[in-house]
Amino acid sequence: MLDPKDLRRSSPSLDRRRLLKGLGVTAFGGSFAGVARAETEHHSVADAPVANAASPLDSVPYLGIHQAGIVNARPANGMVASFDVLAKDAGELETLFRLLTARIAFLTVGGPVPVLDPKLPPADSGLLGPTVRPDNLTITISLGASLFDDRPWLAPLKPKHLQRMTRFPNDALDADICHGDLTIQICANTQDTTIHALRDIIKASSSQMILKWKQEGNVPVITPGSDGRAESARNFLGFRDGSANPNSSDGAEMDRVVWVGPEDGEPAWAVGGSYQAVRIIRNFVERWDRTPFGEQERIIGRTKISGAPLDRRDGSEFDVPDYAGDPEGKATPHDAHIRLANARDAAASTNTILRRPFNYSNGVTRSGQLDQGLLFICYQADLERGFLTVQQKLNGEPLEEYIKPVGGGYFYTLPGIRDAADYVGSPLIAAVRGA
Amino acid sequence: MRISSFASASALALILSSGAFAQEASLDLVEPIADYKIYVSENVAKLVEDTTAFVAAVKAGEVDKAKELFAPTRISYEAIEPIAELFSDLDVAIDSRADDYEKAEADPEFPGFHRIEYGLWEKNSTEGLEPVADKLLADVKELEGRIASLTFPPEKVVGGAAVLMEEVAATKISGEEDRYSHTDLWDFRGNFDGARKIVELVRPLIADKEADFLKTVDANFDTVDTTLAKYKDGDGYVTYDKLTEDDRKVLAAAVNTLAEDLSTLRGKLGLD
Repeated sequence: MLDPKDLRRSSPSLDRRRLLKGLGVTAFGGSFAGVARAETEHHSVADAPVANAASPLDSVPYLGIHQAGIVNARPANGMVASFDVLAKDAGELETLFRLLTARIAFLTVGGPVPVLDPKLPPADSGLLGPTVRPDNLTITISLGASLFDDRPWLAPLKPKHLQRMTRFPNDALDADICHGDLTIQICANTQDTTIHALRDIIKASSSQMILKWKQEGNVPVITPGSDGRAESARNFLGFRDGSANPNSSDGAEMDRVVWVGPEDGEPAWAVGGSYQAVRIIRNFVERWDRTPFGEQERIIGRTKISGAPLDRRDGSEFDVPDYAGDPEGKATPHDAHIRLANARDAAASTNTILRRPFNYSNGVTRSGQLDQGLLFICYQADLERGFLTVQQKLNGEPLEEYIKPVGGGYFYTLPGIRDAADYVGSPLIAAVRGA
Repeated sequence: MRISSFASASALALILSSGAFAQEASLDLVEPIADYKIYVSENVAKLVEDTTAFVAAVKAGEVDKAKELFAPTRISYEAIEPIAELFSDLDVAIDSRADDYEKAEADPEFPGFHRIEYGLWEKNSTEGLEPVADKLLADVKELEGRIASLTFPPEKVVGGAAVLMEEVAATKISGEEDRYSHTDLWDFRGNFDGARKIVELVRPLIADKEADFLKTVDANFDTVDTTLAKYKDGDGYVTYDKLTEDDRKVLAAAVNTLAEDLSTLRGKLGLD
């Protein structure tokens, strides 16, 4: 049995389900405080942020072999902003990367903003006051296929699976919210912090890139249950989303699922990076809310209240459905969303992706319906084996009547900023120069 | 008592010090502002002259001639927009767009250049435009009169360089200004010329202290010139839809950067 004291120093390789199971038992032993603390330090990407637990002093280190903002738990607010890049040569691209790194270093660590002569425009928008605090901010830089394709000096270094997003049968892609040369994923406890970061970066990079589109979203915060454990957040369809996500605190699992390694046949500069798929998926929520409860559950493949699989309704969202025991699809229909997406067999385990989505709510459509949905973001070491394969399996699913992907794109998330002297994208620039 | 006399004393000190500062800045600016007033006067005179011909063509039902005169007539208005905008009633009457009206193009209130542009290009007709044309000419003449008697506020003149770039960045780079005729590149020419003129007039005041700043600003103006030159057609420019996506990006970045840089021009000249 797990001791809460050990949980507090929980090792990254600890299996999440074993941990949760252990917590259930420990809870009866009465160590609630220690357990709850352990859980907040042991977030999985899919977990909802814990209510009243966020602090402006929360910080995520921006240095490391991988960029921040991928395997750490989602804070309550997220955004993807896509830009066109002006850089005409390696020198200009390096200048942009160094500038982004400098902004990342300031914004994610925090500190006082410069005070200028009041006759000049202020150096900072002032949204966060005179002192910027980190507020759990992560800023993650990824590159689109167009950045490579439009530049002969960069094209030979394009990651092998990086491609322009093309239409799936249920898509209605709006060119105004698709693709881009460079995306910035910005996540933080509060929306003020994400917007402050975006405005800071736009102001600093005006001569180097142009904003193309952005989508903001959030994750509902949840008060942990009496056992202190976090649950997966719900999407705007009212279902828990991300229950089957891989354990993001398992380093070996992340190496397999998320991070590009030396053996993956990618350009050497790309090692330590990841493929990012972004999809802006509108949900037809009025129609969904007029759909019978039982049908909703059969379409998704989970119970709506707890997220338990349909073949064990009294279980939890973390129980694994037994499809082998349900070959006719009586409990979980064969075309249920989660069964199509992940058949829970050996073959499906090669298609695992790390989902890191945010709910979005934009306004009202011309038809007078709510423009809401999911800012779907996922990471994987192999875009073909990951998102593209999973989405192909989902083509034609009954859920399509209620969702419409309208935007997004595929991007390559750069390897990490290794130390304070390094800058994001330095291996790519070195590769251009070495070629 | 003590507190209030202390407060008024510091208020007085504040007024004195800022007044002294403003005066110092204004003295240096006397010549550039006088020169700018000449520039604006010349442009507004040209605007009246060109609008007279444009309006005559509209009223004579000469659609093709009116179309030909539309963009070149506007260019002198675009160059002096920071001053023209000081008279907001006239700016609305002369240069507002369909989106400023609840019923858009169908709104009877929709006036000025863009109302006529809509008729000429979308309807290929001057029908019903006569009163709009008469009003436009009257408004342009009124503008000329008001400018003649205007004392140019230094901060508006110097700040005008940035204002022009903000306008392009916010509502022009998308091609929404001249949405029926697609003559936006002419307007850009006017906006950039107007902004650059202001920089040229104050250049001697900051040339020593702000050499790097001026170098960056000049480089961005040059980028704009080089880019626009590719789209030259006779005395004017091809339609905005001919602009390649790459060149649109180059222009957008140059405009955003000029807006950032020129937003500091007032402060650099000590204007509050």
